[in-house]
Amino acid sequence: MSAVGRWLGDRLPVSGQQFRELTNEPVPYHLKRWWFALGGTPAYLFIVQIFTGILLAFYYEASPSAAYASVEAITRDVSFGWYIRSIHKWAATLMIVAVILHQIRVFFTGAYRKPREINWIVGMCLLFCTLMTGFTGYSLVYEQLSFWGATVGANITDTVPLIGGFLKRMMLAGDTYNQSTLSRFFILHAAVLPVTIVLLLAVHITIIRLQGVTEFRFRDEEGGTPRTFNFFPDHLYTEVIIGLVLMVLLSALATILPATLGPPADPLQTPEVIKPEWFFYVAFRWLKLFSGTAAVLSMGFIVFVMFAWPFIDGWIRKHTRFQEASVWVGIAGVLTIVGMTLWEALVRH
Amino acid sequence: MTLETKRYVIAALGGLFLVSLILVQWMETARKAEEAGLRPPHISVPAESRECVECHAEENPGIVVHWEGSTHAEKGVGCLECHAAALEEADSYLHHGEQIATIVSPRDCARCHDHEAEEFAQSHHAAAGNILASLDNFLAETVEGARMAFKPHSPTPGKAVDMVNGFASAFSGCQQCHGSKVALQSTDGGRITVDDLQPDADGVPTNLDAVARIVRSEEGRALLHAGTWPNTGIGRLNLDGSRGSCTACHSRHDFSPRRARQPENCGKCHLGPDHPQKEIYEESKHGVAFRDLKDDMNLDAGRWVLGVDYAAAPTCATCHMSGNIRNGGRVTHDPGERISWTNRPAVSLVMDTDINHDIVTETEPDLRRSLIHDSAEQKRDRMKEVCSHCHTDDYVNGFYRQYDDLIILYNEKFAKSGLAIMGALLSNGLRTPTQFDDEVEWTWFYLWHHEGRRARHGASMMAPDYTHWHGMYEVAERFYMELIPQTREIVQHAREGGRGNAARAVEQVVDEILARPEHVWFEEGAEAQAERIRQEMERRYGRGQEQ
Repeated sequence: MSAVGRWLGDRLPVSGQQFRELTNEPVPYHLKRWWFALGGTPAYLFIVQIFTGILLAFYYEASPSAAYASVEAITRDVSFGWYIRSIHKWAATLMIVAVILHQIRVFFTGAYRKPREINWIVGMCLLFCTLMTGFTGYSLVYEQLSFWGATVGANITDTVPLIGGFLKRMMLAGDTYNQSTLSRFFILHAAVLPVTIVLLLAVHITIIRLQGVTEFRFRDEEGGTPRTFNFFPDHLYTEVIIGLVLMVLLSALATILPATLGPPADPLQTPEVIKPEWFFYVAFRWLKLFSGTAAVLSMGFIVFVMFAWPFIDGWIRKHTRFQEASVWVGIAGVLTIVGMTLWEALVRH
Repeated sequence: MTLETKRYVIAALGGLFLVSLILVQWMETARKAEEAGLRPPHISVPAESRECVECHAEENPGIVVHWEGSTHAEKGVGCLECHAAALEEADSYLHHGEQIATIVSPRDCARCHDHEAEEFAQSHHAAAGNILASLDNFLAETVEGARMAFKPHSPTPGKAVDMVNGFASAFSGCQQCHGSKVALQSTDGGRITVDDLQPDADGVPTNLDAVARIVRSEEGRALLHAGTWPNTGIGRLNLDGSRGSCTACHSRHDFSPRRARQPENCGKCHLGPDHPQKEIYEESKHGVAFRDLKDDMNLDAGRWVLGVDYAAAPTCATCHMSGNIRNGGRVTHDPGERISWTNRPAVSLVMDTDINHDIVTETEPDLRRSLIHDSAEQKRDRMKEVCSHCHTDDYVNGFYRQYDDLIILYNEKFAKSGLAIMGALLSNGLRTPTQFDDEVEWTWFYLWHHEGRRARHGASMMAPDYTHWHGMYEVAERFYMELIPQTREIVQHAREGGRGNAARAVEQVVDEILARPEHVWFEEGAEAQAERIRQEMERRYGRGQEQ
């Protein structure tokens, strides 16, 4: 053992052998397939977001009078500001895509079933925290569309029965968008939500480690295929490759399609067309299809079903003959989400 | 994938990521170099405008070169973004497959710059075309020219002149600053203007009879009346109903912010005997500092905020339009927002304005207060925000006291007196309602329109020579040596002509004015005061030679 190793060994109560065992847990063989290795992608992008977010926060000012100008200064004046902001924007987009893809994979492979119901719920919480982070982050830009998007979002919240008014006031720091709203969004975006995500991730990963990753066998696998392989270095290499592909992709997107800046927010002038970020298109279209409280309540019901699906699916499998109902529900759900997102994207109103 | 392969893939991707970072570094360096003016900016010609650029690069290369140096070009705003026109617009025509209009009006600019266009529309600049029915216009169209075309009275060797255009002075003079009423040629030989077209809220003409009378070339191009176009006057009355011309300050086709920030840009119109603001500025310490410190003005800065991007000296734009750290960097396209006196009329008015941005002239205090939407004090406070970047509050308030005193002195001693005399002459029939057909009318016009404005503008922008020698001195000389003697002469002639009552009435007004304490020296003498001054001079400098 080297002198440094001895020095560390005297001070840290973890031996090299223990560390190897901890990190080198056998990885199920199906993770050799790339599609199954995407669970770490959102976490990877989350780290990118924290890193770039800290850099942006050095310059961002969370007040209506200065927010837009500070974003403009980041984009135009600060060295590499445009690049960092663009990476942040694209990593947010990819993170939401990755979370949704991961969840689709978990859903269609039935990986949420007993005993993993709790981790599905934790994953759902992570999905909604990610969406909320995206919503608050876009609002911070304080351009015309982000301002009105936030205003419309708050008004939608207001229609939730019983607690809608309270939620709206909590969100806006008052009945309407005011001087304190942006700082509230900023605290949520840069502190509350990231910390919540970190805690949820810790729970998510701990549960995975305790339960082990779901193992799948495929029909085309040869008879002698081992059940597991080593985390280090084989799976680590896979994760490094995914990370590098993401960084190259982010860098390319940031340079080819850098983050733009629309006109500054004007509370006195409502834009002709108000659209939220793309990941809320499906909810926005749903709200347009139904009126007021009915739309909000039906959406709340759908969200409840999503959270409770492992138990609903368990009940269906136990009490009916539709053992693969989840596949058809999943296909219908994905088609609905994709269809309504495209619908909202293609129409003006 | 084997471990060996994965290692190679990682190495390749790592290299690719490194290359992407090098590319980012290169882009950042190029961006900084462009900002610092060390490298020409990257130009992207929008696909829709590519044909325009290629053709006009041959036909009018200057236009393309100017555009290539513009922020528009950097941001991919090409020809059609500004020149595209709807088929229904009166002056639109099909040009190589694209429906366009030659004249770009504020309504067109508002497609992107709506906030700026809105501010401009509320400004006095946008109303500059109102001169078309004013005293100044009478001067150009009747006194200097003629409201008709007339035949020449003798040949012009080398040039076949069959008619003289009586409007030439108005077209080439007044309207090049104030703006023309843009006209299309009519099949009946007349002009078709916004009055005939009666455009709707979208600028589309509603009078189709007028549209049918538009003379078009063989290619279908609506022919513009040569007297009214070219014209970049700031209050131009456009065919689509909008007022003004953004290119009055933002010269086409480079729309250079750098140029708009410099006093020379305003100097196209704000100079000369009647409102020499440009010369006044040059005489002031502000102008002197600008000439010396121009290199420190950061005129190419993106936002050009006083106190952030520069502080070396103020230009016209700095004080009247640009953003500063006190107002959050807010630029205004209504220069009147920071002006507390209007020194344009014969008697200066306090710039309390109503909801329509018109000056409140109501005198009853409560009613006046209720009408004021933006007071002169609010406007002055906005200007003081600018001043305070370089001057203390005491200094600024002291300056405004001096300025107010000069305006009030001019108003009370000469302007209101002159108005009273001119009014008395008119109401008693001793001069005609027609302007400029009596000598005394020219005298009065010089007094307030030229000399009076010079004095007031001089004081407003700290130019002592304009305030005194080109201003108040000449106002006084014109008043005592011309206006009073000419009025007395008119009175004398009236009395001799048997119009005793009229003569007495005007004489009474003049005598009453000259009997006021500030004028009494003129006819009763001021020897005692002169003696006191002489003694003070002797005490300071000793006894000199008699002048």
